[in-house]
Formats: sequence, C-alpha cells, structure tokens
Amino acid sequence: MSGAGHAFSYDAAPAFSTPLRFFLTAPLFGVAAGLLLLAAPELLASRWTPGALALTHLMAVGFMLSVMVGALFQILPVVAGAEVPRARPLATLAHAGLTAGAASLSLGLGAGAPDFLVAAVALLGTSFALFLGAIARGLRRAPIAQATPRDLRLAAAGLGIALLLGLTLAMVLARGLPLPLVTLLELHVGWAWLGGAGLLLAATSWVVVPMFQITPSYPAPLTRYWALATCGALVVWSGAVLAGQAGAALLLAAVLIALAALFAVTTLRLQQRSRRSTPDGTTRAFQLGMTSLLAGLACLLAGHWSAHDAWPILAGILILHGGFASVIQGMLYKIVPFLAWLHLTQDGVRAPNVKKLLPDTPVRRQLVAHGAALATLLAAAASGSAGLGRLAGILVAVEFAWLLANLMCVVRAYRRARAA
Amino acid sequence: MSVTIDGRGLEPPKPFELAMEALADLKAGEELMLLLDRMPWPLFRILDREGYRHSNRIRDDGVVEIRIVAP
Repeated sequence: MSGAGHAFSYDAAPAFSTPLRFFLTAPLFGVAAGLLLLAAPELLASRWTPGALALTHLMAVGFMLSVMVGALFQILPVVAGAEVPRARPLATLAHAGLTAGAASLSLGLGAGAPDFLVAAVALLGTSFALFLGAIARGLRRAPIAQATPRDLRLAAAGLGIALLLGLTLAMVLARGLPLPLVTLLELHVGWAWLGGAGLLLAATSWVVVPMFQITPSYPAPLTRYWALATCGALVVWSGAVLAGQAGAALLLAAVLIALAALFAVTTLRLQQRSRRSTPDGTTRAFQLGMTSLLAGLACLLAGHWSAHDAWPILAGILILHGGFASVIQGMLYKIVPFLAWLHLTQDGVRAPNVKKLLPDTPVRRQLVAHGAALATLLAAAASGSAGLGRLAGILVAVEFAWLLANLMCVVRAYRRARAA
Repeated sequence: MSVTIDGRGLEPPKPFELAMEALADLKAGEELMLLLDRMPWPLFRILDREGYRHSNRIRDDGVVEIRIVAP
C-alpha cells in the first residue's frame, strides 16, 4: 500500500559498483593534472595554450564529469525515487567511454594531435548519449512536482549542450570545420560551468545540503525559480553571443554571475544555521567551495574591466579547483560511505557505522592538502613563478591521490563487512 | 501497539538505523510511524522484500509520514 504514485522498480536498483567505478577513476585524472603541471608549470600563464586546455579538461571532464555521471546513476533512485533502467551495463559502457574519452581529449588538446581529438569526440559522444538516454528514462519516472528531478533534467540538458559544443570545437580544431571558433568557445565555457556543472550542483544541493549538513531547507522561491531563471538567462545570453550583440551579452553575463552568486551566498547562509555543533569535513569543503566560487565570480567581473591576463586564470582556478572540486570532494565523502552502508543494509549485512567506514580525521587532513593546493595554484598564477607552479602541481597530485586513498578505505571496510 | 520515530533533522543514515531497530522489535500487526524530512526510497525496498505493508503521505507542513505495519 505504498501511496506516492511512483513507479519504483526495486530489482533495477544499481549495485554499489555502478557509481563507485566513476568515483575511483575520477581522482586519477586529478593526479594526472597535478603531474602535468609539475612537468610544465608555465601552463598557468595563459588559458588558451594547448597544455592549459589539457589541464582544464583533465579536471573538468576527467574528474568533475566522471563524478557527476557516476553520482547521477545513484542519486536518481536514492533522492528522486527514479530507477535508471539497465544501470549496470550502461554504467560500465559509459564509464569506459568517458574515461578513455577524457584521456584522449586531454592528450589531443595537449599534444595537438587531431586523431586523439577525433577519437575523443567518438568516445565522449557515444558514452554521453548512452548516459543521457538512460537517465532521461529514469527521470521520466520521477515525480515531476519536486524541484530536484526537474532541475536534474535541466542540468542533464545543459551538460548535453555543453558537450555538443565541446565536441564541435574539437572537430573545428581536429578537422578545420569552418565554424566561428571564438563564439563556440564562449558558448561552450558558459554552458559547461553554469548550464551543466552549476545546475547539477544546485539541483543536488537542494537535497544534500539540508540532508547531510543539517541545515534548514533552501528558500522555496530559490528552488522553484533559480534553475529556470539560470537556464532562461543562458539561452538569451547565447542568442546575444550568436548575434554578436556584445553589450547585451555582457549585461546577461552579469545577470548569470549574479544568479551564481545568489546560490553561493544562500548556501553559505544556510550553513551558518546548521544544527551541527562542529562543522565536519564536508561542511568545510562546501564553505571553501562557495567562498571560492564567489571570489572566482569577482575575478570574472574584474576581467571585464581590466585587461590583465591573470584575472581569467585566477577565475578558472577559483571556480574549477576552489569551487567545484571542493564541493565534489565534500560530497564524495558523504555519498560513498552512505552508499556503502546502504548497500550492506539492503543486502541484509550488518553494516558498520558510517563514521567507522570513513572517520573524519583523514578527510579533514586531505581537505587541508586541497586548500594548500588551491592557495599555491593561486599564488603561482598571480606571480608567474615556475617554482610555485611546480609546487602547486605536486600538491594537486598529492591531494587527489589522498582523496583516492580515503575512498579506498571505505571500499576496504565495505568488503570486510561483506566477508564477515 | 504503535511506535513513532521522529527522524527529522538527523543526518542519514541515522533515521534509517532507528527505523531498522524499531522494525526488529515490532510484533505481527503492530505499527511503526516514521516522521521524516524526505521520502525514504531505499527503505521501501527493504520493507517490500520483508513483507511489511506501508503507506506514505506528505503533510501540508512538508513532513513525510510513513506508516508501516509488521507482517
């Protein structure tokens, strides 16, 4: 007599390995980004060099997109009550394509190798189409009245648009398609960070911030209208960019920045009202993420008024590494132990307490390394020092290797509990 | 006998753990009422597998009420 009017196919619930495979390979791309920076610290001097593009995509596609795709396979059933049909084989294929595609893309961009770019287009295009098709079927079964499933749909569409623009750009670079490179690039960046990653972050935050950080719910007008307003503003901004209306595009970019700032400020305010007496690692990671996001937005604005080359690079570091990577790592530290506990319990295995699956101390220490890596990256970009760039590379590699080690602790505890 | 567990404001999986402990003590035909902040989709899987009857509703104040009857 379950009465929510939902179609919930329990048999199709994904195995722990479905999201886990994405979560365990993603940090390796962070390690690769760190090693690349260690080998070539001059990459922080300009955002458009082949090496800088490779570095950005190791983080954005290899780390961020991998975690996002993995999380969506599990978020839909747990928070939205919607199963992804045939999740396990689809996740296996999507993971293989995404991992090989991210590596190929970074190699193609960094080494200027057109064949690797074409391979990346095929791999990423196919795996993402598989993924989008799967979650679209899952989302169709989710209750439409909730803000999270609706915003997840918008985020999935945003990610799709960003990827389509990115793949087109890759073909412009690899095969010289006669399309306007700068316009496509501008649209790709806007849709990738706000239309895809930003919307997905917001849609998940509506649920996971109150749930795991014990805060009040986000204000209803924000969850009701923020994603719609952001999507609408992105569409109009894209029209202005395509029409070459620089003034309108700048005004709309300011609106988008204001919307992103509104989300970050609201999240910080909610965290101040948390019922938790001492902030845990995830709360700290979110605070760092939201503060970095705000600082990154300020750098974006500064870049519009000042021609100094450092502003866009500082903005990129603050938004990608300081904003998204902080929040994603904080979420991984909640999601992975919780899923391990959930799968053990659902399978009738006596599960250890989640704090035993992953204690807070190694999490806090790893997040200190993450903060040190961020500060060193910013100092290296601002000063142009190769020595600081190399140090930042080492710290980034250490940070992501440590993240992987912490996640592996959960996997080992999960296996021990199963074997007991 | 009817037992009520208020799991609002608790970090996951604490409400889930409290519910599982209470279910273990429930005798046939007895009821457990859960008050939660959100729909516990994963719990439904266990309830269905173990043969518990359950119903849910979202109150006007947003609180999710789950009524569970032991088999």
